[in-house]
Amino acid sequence: MDVHNTVTVPAGQSFNKIYIAGNEEALPGKIVVEKDAKAEIVILSMPGTEYECSLEVVLAGRGASADIAGAYVCGHDEKIRISVDMRHEVPDCTSRQLFKGIAGGHSSVDFYGKITVVKDAQHTEAYQENHNILISDYAKVNTKPQLEIYADDVKCSHGATIGRLNEEEQFYMRSRGISLEDARVLQMISFLSPVLGTISDPELHGQKTAELEEAVRSIVKAI
Amino acid sequence: MSNDKEILDGLADKEYEHGFVTDLEQEFIPKGINEDVIRIISAKKGEPEWMLDFRLEAFRKWQKMTLPTWAHLEIPEIDFQDIIYYAAPKKDSERPNEIDPELEKTFDKLGIPLHERAALAGVAVDAVFDSVSVTTTFRAALAEKGIIFCSFSEAVREYPELVRKYLASVVPVGDNFYAALNSAVFSDGSFCYIPKGVRCPMELSSYFRINAKGTGQFERTLIVADEGSYVSYMEGCTAPMRDENQLHAAVVEIVVEKDAEVKYSTVQNWYPGDAQGKGGIFNFVTKRGICKGAGSHLSWTQVETGSAITWKYPSTILKGDNSSSEFYSVAVTNNYQQADTGTKMIHIGKNTRSRIISKGISAGHSQNSYRGLVRMLAGAENARNYSQCDSLLIGDKCGAHTFPYIENANKTAVVEHEATTSRISEDQLFYCNQRGIGQEEAVGLIVNGYAREVLSKLPMEFAVEAQKLLSLSLEGSVG
Repeated sequence: MDVHNTVTVPAGQSFNKIYIAGNEEALPGKIVVEKDAKAEIVILSMPGTEYECSLEVVLAGRGASADIAGAYVCGHDEKIRISVDMRHEVPDCTSRQLFKGIAGGHSSVDFYGKITVVKDAQHTEAYQENHNILISDYAKVNTKPQLEIYADDVKCSHGATIGRLNEEEQFYMRSRGISLEDARVLQMISFLSPVLGTISDPELHGQKTAELEEAVRSIVKAI
Repeated sequence: MSNDKEILDGLADKEYEHGFVTDLEQEFIPKGINEDVIRIISAKKGEPEWMLDFRLEAFRKWQKMTLPTWAHLEIPEIDFQDIIYYAAPKKDSERPNEIDPELEKTFDKLGIPLHERAALAGVAVDAVFDSVSVTTTFRAALAEKGIIFCSFSEAVREYPELVRKYLASVVPVGDNFYAALNSAVFSDGSFCYIPKGVRCPMELSSYFRINAKGTGQFERTLIVADEGSYVSYMEGCTAPMRDENQLHAAVVEIVVEKDAEVKYSTVQNWYPGDAQGKGGIFNFVTKRGICKGAGSHLSWTQVETGSAITWKYPSTILKGDNSSSEFYSVAVTNNYQQADTGTKMIHIGKNTRSRIISKGISAGHSQNSYRGLVRMLAGAENARNYSQCDSLLIGDKCGAHTFPYIENANKTAVVEHEATTSRISEDQLFYCNQRGIGQEEAVGLIVNGYAREVLSKLPMEFAVEAQKLLSLSLEGSVG
């Protein structure tokens, strides 16, 4: 994989793409978003795929925005390494990052996400979230969200969680006749659905939702 | 907003209140560090053989170590051979047991009484001046309950078995560069032991003062809370204003046994350097506690306003089942100050809980970073952590950074982290202004409200000082 390939989104245009881990078309190493341009990226990693990606996003023109979302489902011994470097180099840009994943089996997940706001990049809005669910005793998740802010008129935040499936929710569903397995599937799909929500094309959205549901079903039996 | 500019300029002119130098006769050892220097320090303190061996072993380890460079700090090169590792006020040979009146005046000026007074009966103080402990108050009253509170040097002589048992049990000699240096040359600090089931009736506190030029301070503190005991411990520090940088590399170790509780509070007010970033203390400190027994609790509270550079991560190892720990921090940086501070919570035991609340405030040209690790080991069933790190930026030339490291290897453990960075909003200021609250007062109000959650955790004696310090450090800075 050529990690140095760069995609430039010219002024005023938008760039929309879904990347599936393991597919031939690899994520670019760098995306430069120019004035009033928009980049919307969705990254999906299904069970059984080793995945390593390192993406740098540069917001290079005023009014640029970037939405990066990702979901990963691991049930075997996958290794997932995701690294995102979001650079706000000019004022008035917005970025959103949302990564959610489920780690089962003997998998290990490493997430590294950095938001850098350079000096004088005022009126920046930068948000990042990384949420993980551990469903196996042997799986591991490490997450390193980072904020480096050198301008003051900004709104920046990051949130990271590593947790488990809520047992009260499971009880609620089981008391209504839903099997434990189905309850877990429902929980995981609803957990991942905000990532799919960033796919604007309805047909693609439906297709990816179905694929993800199948992926979740395939790992739920092993719990 | 020319008004803001004026106020910011005014802030830069603010003098450091504790910047005076005490003029008294002091004895020094030659500058530099080698095995002879360590032998001299050990001999001066009348230490037993095992203590000297401990120091030498640390020194040999330290020589092989390299400076940590991972922090988000720009540290000028430090010449470790250009530091005087031991400085002590000379004792009057005719009255060896009395405190030099000059010293007493110094501590009085700092608001630390060396005599047991009714007015401050709630606090026992161990006052450390450069490399030696001057006095420890209320020792007799504490001894009645079996509590040992004395200088570290005395502890080595009088309670060697306790010191040997716990020394370096939490921070190993070779833990990191500065901890190894400290283990080799540490001078004085406090030792405190709370026996089984005893609730310490008063606040214990240490006050550290650097006075001599060209020296470093390397204090060592060891707190042991035996089963079911409770103690609240406070630490304060100041230094004179100088153009040179002085090194302060301390090690604090805390052992919390079954069902015991330790509350450790720090108000750090070392000289931060002048408005141009000249001078100030390098505060490179290793603080770590272990919740050894089941149900033990350790709480860290820190208010960091001083030091040119702060490198400090008070940490807790949650080993006992059902043990818990908290970390509350307010770090303020102004002018050219740099701070890289945070905590580590290592969850080993079942049902362990930790909570991290960190509030950073940066102004001027300063850089303020939060760096924290939360690690859930495989055996940490049902462990829980919640972290919240907020940064407030005042002015457009400073930086605020957040570097959390979150690791979870247990599916029943839950870790949550959130962080925000923002400035004081125009709306909040406008709200105050239109109700007749001036700009400066409004900022004070908002900053105080922002830090309240942490300040409210400080012991009463400290809370007042900390609030004053906070408003002083930030006086007039408007975003």
